Amino acid sequence: MDTIISVRNLVNRFGKHVVHDKLCLDVRRDEILGVVGGSGTGKSVLMRSILGLQKPSSGSITVMGQEIVYHQPGPSRCWGVLFQGGALLSDLTVQQNVELPIALHSDMPVETRHELASLKLLMTGLSLSVADKYPSELSGGMRKRVSLARALALEPRILFLDEPTAGLDPIAATEFDELITYLHDNLDLTIMMITHDVDSLFNICDRIAVLVDGGVVAGSVEDVVESDHPWIRNYFGVPRALRARKAGRESRDGK
Amino acid sequence: MSNPFLSIETQPGRLVVKVRGQWIFDEVPALEAAAASVSPEAGQSVVFQCAGLEDIDIAGAWVLFDRNEQFSELGIKSELTGFKASHFKFLQHIIDAAAIREYEEPSDSPARPKVMKETVERLGRSTTAYIEDLGEIARYILDGVRKPSLIMVGETIKHVYTTGVQAIPVVVVITFLIGIVTVHQAAGQLGKFGATVLVVDLVSISITREMGVLLAAIMVAGRSGSAFAAALGVMKLNEEVDAMRVLGLNPNQVLIIPRILGLVIALPILTIFADIAGIAGGALIAVGTMGISGLQFVERVAYSTDLTDFYVGLSKAPVFALLIAMVGTLRGMQVKSSAEELGMKTTMAVVQSIFMIIVADAVFAVLFTRMGI
Repeated sequence: MDTIISVRNLVNRFGKHVVHDKLCLDVRRDEILGVVGGSGTGKSVLMRSILGLQKPSSGSITVMGQEIVYHQPGPSRCWGVLFQGGALLSDLTVQQNVELPIALHSDMPVETRHELASLKLLMTGLSLSVADKYPSELSGGMRKRVSLARALALEPRILFLDEPTAGLDPIAATEFDELITYLHDNLDLTIMMITHDVDSLFNICDRIAVLVDGGVVAGSVEDVVESDHPWIRNYFGVPRALRARKAGRESRDGK
Repeated sequence: MSNPFLSIETQPGRLVVKVRGQWIFDEVPALEAAAASVSPEAGQSVVFQCAGLEDIDIAGAWVLFDRNEQFSELGIKSELTGFKASHFKFLQHIIDAAAIREYEEPSDSPARPKVMKETVERLGRSTTAYIEDLGEIARYILDGVRKPSLIMVGETIKHVYTTGVQAIPVVVVITFLIGIVTVHQAAGQLGKFGATVLVVDLVSISITREMGVLLAAIMVAGRSGSAFAAALGVMKLNEEVDAMRVLGLNPNQVLIIPRILGLVIALPILTIFADIAGIAGGALIAVGTMGISGLQFVERVAYSTDLTDFYVGLSKAPVFALLIAMVGTLRGMQVKSSAEELGMKTTMAVVQSIFMIIVADAVFAVLFTRMGI
């Protein structure tokens, strides 16, 4: 399988606190990789390092063969990011938010841009009646969908999701999971997803990467669950994780 | 004619368009031009043969879909065929989305704006808004002082420190410089009358009555008025103000009153520093370059300026402080939704407080003249 993101010997240190200690991680083409870890294990730092938003203490990262350099324009045409709070620009309307990346990266006519942005909104399950609203007028779930539409605006190959289902009610979270699976299957996307939602982990992830002790334990869902690292055993041993695992297995067998 | 994206073949009664190459986002302008070049004659139908496509994404698929729809609307028979499954799913997205769109009711076309009506409405709205502002300030203050608490004292002291003590260096420097400038400018003019020594009267009276307090107030408006608005605005955006209320803290008590009180205490202190620095600046030039002795300078200050002049200046300080703090906190509390709004309100806070300081100073000038002080 092709490796689309490759992280080699990443070290991130804040003062004396070492977050990542020679961390290595590969993300394969067309997979959904779930990233989990206790608070302070550097899930967001890892994602920010890959996106070039954080200067690693040492180590190298390549995305689609391109070396990532801190605060240098990365392969921004190839990736889309859904930030945790949505990070929509608050003084632009929903439509303008989605159109912005298209306007920045293409000189296509305004009507085409407009149509494509509307299309992305519809694809993420939004009604076009929200197009002229401002982010502050939307609910949390809708804001995430708009943010996802913006992330998809440039036809990315890779999608980064930071806790996509956090703060959503179970119905909305399930719908969001389904949306991610649908987009993954139909747009040939590779998805790296930070999540704490065990349901998402068992239902939609192909592989899981657990950040522990400054490194990473990665593998297929079942492999990682069987790991004997104490924190991982603890994480997947709590009742809600066990229930989610059972449900995930059943739904996969059902398919 | 070789187009990298399609080739057109005319067959009896129909155009066969062989689609090929990379139909992707980056190529959209060229793709649209290519699609537009497909122009069937009357009675011809169009067939898009898509088997030769190398790559496609949503944007490229949309261009194809859109052209196909255009033909259908013109009554020209048109179809998209021969997709590979891995390519067709992109088109499927668009077909799905279009179906949803049909289903949704068309939105009303926006009404034509009525300029006159809107202007009058806006005028009315801003008038009531200002009246509401006044009421809001009154409510903050009344609500804040009704049940004074210990937190207020600590917060007040903090604000005296940040708005007053920390501002001393900059206020001292600018008034010192203004003192120098005043003496310099005046010496040239008064020297013509052989009355160079009167520069001492001029600098000591103007600094104590007007310049000291005015410069300190304007400096503080720029420094602390903006800080108040920005700090409160961010707290509003973060729902911190709501959180305080839920915790049983009264935001007016914790946030507004201490800022107002702090500034009302700090600005008079700053004014005293400003007065001293201004006169010192004047003294430096007068004694250093104009042959006025130190003793003569002190004598002249004592003769021309009495404590009344000093009090006149000082008495304005609390009023200016009140204006700065009220405008700053009010604008901060009015931030509701966006970062843009925060910037706007902060700007408003500074501009309006400086404006009000100058207006109040003019009122004071008239008042003191009438009273003969």
